[in-house]
Amino acid sequence: MTTGATFSDHAEEAVPTGHLDRFTLDGRGRYMLFIVPALAVMFAVIIFPWLFTLFMSVHDWRIGQAKAFVGLENYRNLLHDERFLGAVIRTLIYTVLATALPVVLGVLSALVFHRNFPFRGVLRAVFIMPMMATPVAVALVWTMMFHPQLGVLNYLLSLVGIPPSLWVFDQATVIPSLVLVETWQWTPLVMLIVLGGLASLPTEPYESALIDGATPWQMFRRITFPLVLPFIMVATIIRTIDAVKSFDTIFVITLGGPGTASETINLYLYTQAFAFYQIGYASAMVVVFMIVIMALCLMLLYLRQRAQWN
Amino acid sequence: MKKGLTTGRGAASSVSRRTLLQAGLGVAGLAVTGGIALPRPAIAQAAGFDWKRFKGQHIEVLMAKGPRGDLLQKYRKEFEELTGITVGDEQVPEQQQRQKTAIEFNSGNTSFDVLMIPYHVQKKMFGKNKWMEDLRPYLADAKLTAPDYDVGDFAKGAIDYATQADGRLDSIPINLDYFILYYNKEIFAQKGVAYPKNFDEMTAAAEKLNDPKAGVSGFVLRGIKNANVVVWTDLMLGWNRDPISKDGALPEDADAVAAATLYKKLITSYGPQGSVQFNWNECQSLFALGKAAMWIDGIGFALPLEDKAKSKIVGKVGYGVMPMGPKANHSALFGDGMAVSAFTKKKEAAWLYVQWATNKTMQARNLTGGYGSPGRNSSFEMAKTATDLKAPREWVDCMSGSIKIARPGLPEIVGVTEFRDIYGIALTNMIQGGDPAAELKKASEQFKPILAKTEAG
Amino acid sequence: MELRSGPVGRSGLRGLLGRIGFFLSVVVVISPAILVFLWMLSLAFKTDIDNIAYPPVFIPNPPTLDNFLSVFQNSPFALYTYNSIIVTGGATLLALLVGVPAGYGIAKARAHKLGVLVLLARLTPGLSFLIPLYILFQMMGLTGTLWPMIITHLVITVPIVAWIMIGFFETLPHDLEEAAMIDGCTLWQAFYRIALPLSRPGIVVAAILSIIFSWNNFIFGVVLAGRETRTLPVAVYNVLTFEQLSWGPLAAAALVVMLPVLVLTIIIQREIVSGLAAGGVK
Repeated sequence: MTTGATFSDHAEEAVPTGHLDRFTLDGRGRYMLFIVPALAVMFAVIIFPWLFTLFMSVHDWRIGQAKAFVGLENYRNLLHDERFLGAVIRTLIYTVLATALPVVLGVLSALVFHRNFPFRGVLRAVFIMPMMATPVAVALVWTMMFHPQLGVLNYLLSLVGIPPSLWVFDQATVIPSLVLVETWQWTPLVMLIVLGGLASLPTEPYESALIDGATPWQMFRRITFPLVLPFIMVATIIRTIDAVKSFDTIFVITLGGPGTASETINLYLYTQAFAFYQIGYASAMVVVFMIVIMALCLMLLYLRQRAQWN
Repeated sequence: MKKGLTTGRGAASSVSRRTLLQAGLGVAGLAVTGGIALPRPAIAQAAGFDWKRFKGQHIEVLMAKGPRGDLLQKYRKEFEELTGITVGDEQVPEQQQRQKTAIEFNSGNTSFDVLMIPYHVQKKMFGKNKWMEDLRPYLADAKLTAPDYDVGDFAKGAIDYATQADGRLDSIPINLDYFILYYNKEIFAQKGVAYPKNFDEMTAAAEKLNDPKAGVSGFVLRGIKNANVVVWTDLMLGWNRDPISKDGALPEDADAVAAATLYKKLITSYGPQGSVQFNWNECQSLFALGKAAMWIDGIGFALPLEDKAKSKIVGKVGYGVMPMGPKANHSALFGDGMAVSAFTKKKEAAWLYVQWATNKTMQARNLTGGYGSPGRNSSFEMAKTATDLKAPREWVDCMSGSIKIARPGLPEIVGVTEFRDIYGIALTNMIQGGDPAAELKKASEQFKPILAKTEAG
Repeated sequence: MELRSGPVGRSGLRGLLGRIGFFLSVVVVISPAILVFLWMLSLAFKTDIDNIAYPPVFIPNPPTLDNFLSVFQNSPFALYTYNSIIVTGGATLLALLVGVPAGYGIAKARAHKLGVLVLLARLTPGLSFLIPLYILFQMMGLTGTLWPMIITHLVITVPIVAWIMIGFFETLPHDLEEAAMIDGCTLWQAFYRIALPLSRPGIVVAAILSIIFSWNNFIFGVVLAGRETRTLPVAVYNVLTFEQLSWGPLAAAALVVMLPVLVLTIIIQREIVSGLAAGGVK
């Protein structure tokens, strides 16, 4: 999606229209009136939850019990909470897998859909259906397909002579199986973004490359890939944010199980807040989680800038 | 009502004082029910009592999804006609329902006037905060309680289960759930295996009946964290061991480990692949397909198992009372009540609903309709002669047998969910290869500070 | 401009092989999506016994509508649909109202730092909104109405609209508005009369993506919605029956919920693709 626009560093560029170069009420500043309502709405919705979360994160409060100020104790406890640290590691693994696979497959499928072929429009629509379908409903359907005894996936495996898998019903295979669902669902998003990038490519480099007798692979490696790299980075950033916050899929399919084998930060957060009612502790976790997310974003933004300089 | 007939059979003479229903639910109660008239339809009830005092009011009822919700919704119209009160009722999956009630109560305002409350999970938390109306004054008020309601008809054990530590009765039991051993009679007959009388025989039967090649597992049990804990505690009661003992000892001693070891063996040696992530619905589906010989779970699954559209083993289901454990014979007890929110402005109308939902007619319907297991003695009296039982008589007999050995399957503490979650993870770790003693020890270490904190606050 | 990045069609055996390889890759790319949806259709039109049969029954024979009937009989799906439409529609309209001007302002003023502020809403874990907002809405006396859901969904819809519109307005030529302002138009008139009509395709894409992601949201509804205000995704989750694996009704409910967004996707897929391409990902 065009999210990438917000990441760009246009503010540093020369403003082409010349006379709007100062951020004043008669320069760029006069556009503030257009922006303020949206900012006001966003802050109205998120500012109270943020303040509430910060406030609660320094309190010991379980629903139904009196709350007490405890300073940074919740944060200190987080550092010693093995289950939380496990969740952090699982979140990172999950995020890397659920980002890398859709990005790789999304780029490949964008190359396919960039070419003209019969029924391209319809097939493209079918291809992007997974990302449009309601995630909860999709997750329920996958749950049925994963069933070790009655699921269709194991039957299909048996047809081609592969032994049945336990999918989400075993701690060793649960994260790859969930990543499979996530990949199925979000590869189209990457494809759309990269497709947009491919459509905007200039034609001249290809023409001269053809004249030079370059092979398709060389053209991809030397021309296409570097030019669409910024788009791939945008897709990576968006995927990372979504994967790290992934909730619906895991919640519906495994609830974080077996045991804690697929319990990511978001799932553990859910357990603390809505099963244990430990609002204070869960709030501290939200704050740390936000920091993790922002750090990931900043890291990717940095990588993206470097990609552009090169 | 007579006292203390029941508890364990045989060797279980050193039965815990905590055996909740020892004060005469069921058979002990049945002995004194001679004078109770058979209930008539609710509408004809109680001349003189004004059901219509609060007509025109509207109340909201929030229930956990399940057979009792079905029952109350099915007959809702009768209540509306009887009282002129309109009802908005809803069944929500139990996890969500528990969340919703707690969050709303905590905010000091509730969208519901009446709620269903699971005793085994939220009784103490809600009771401590006085979030539910004490119903004793209502019961004592002749203008608010119909003369034929007869709260004394409830088994003492059931009322005890509902009563808070400080004596408040802030809910009325609508259903008591006992853990039983479902077994597939056909599979048993094929291999000439008899119903097991004790845990050893149960294990031996599973060994004999387990036939993965034929797609039949000896056992199917809940393995998913949280939900799995009650299967383990049910087995643990056979060692005469409460989930948390009276003196506060956490389940990490030899008895708890023995029960966990048995649980692990049943699930890993005789259970289907993937059991570690099974909840009751997965268990029930496999059992209903004839793919499992035995299944330990709550008693409330007779209706779907005897429904041809959902089950391939109609008429072949055996309903067995829990076999004798090494030290005692018990069935884990759980239960739900109906309660009035302390924050509602329509307390009287809400109480009328609770009263109707737990009256003799509705409780009898709970049993005869196969929905579940009532707390009233008169319901069982009714069922004895009823000709329209929806579930097999064997199911009712199994219920009567289980009542006598019932004992709470979860500790009465504020942090029940934490208990289930932490020990639940320990159990899943065992299924995936962990050592029972080490896992229980680790879980207890984690749970100890939580228990201290939640019980103190 | 279509530019072939793969093997360019050539005559001869190599070209034929290339073409066959390409069509195989199309099949590989497309089949996971098709197969899952076909299986869902199959589940929705079979009886429960067939659904949990093993080996699986693939073609419903005969197809049954019972699953759909049971979904509509057992819960007020019409009410949930109505709720979903109001919530999604309300949140999308409000988002367009504030998001389109914001996209314009940010694009024109090149104030991308402000854009990042809008992005913060997207970074915040959805769960962390629930309890504070529940308490807030209760203080405001809004619980039991659809307003809490509409307002919370703005967290999803406003960023989507704003981001897409930023990209869109950046590609619009500035000259027209500049000329208009020299002719005496106010800033607002330049936006309203000139930029807005030109950005129609972008608004369509923004609105539709906003509708889809708001429609699909699950977690807000779990805590914030009650009996009368439940939206469809939560309702589907609640179809999970108490007793057993009831796959038919579940798949039927899933299908009912997805149908509107899938139909929308097919109708406007060209606009989504071209809108995204035109809006450009910078």
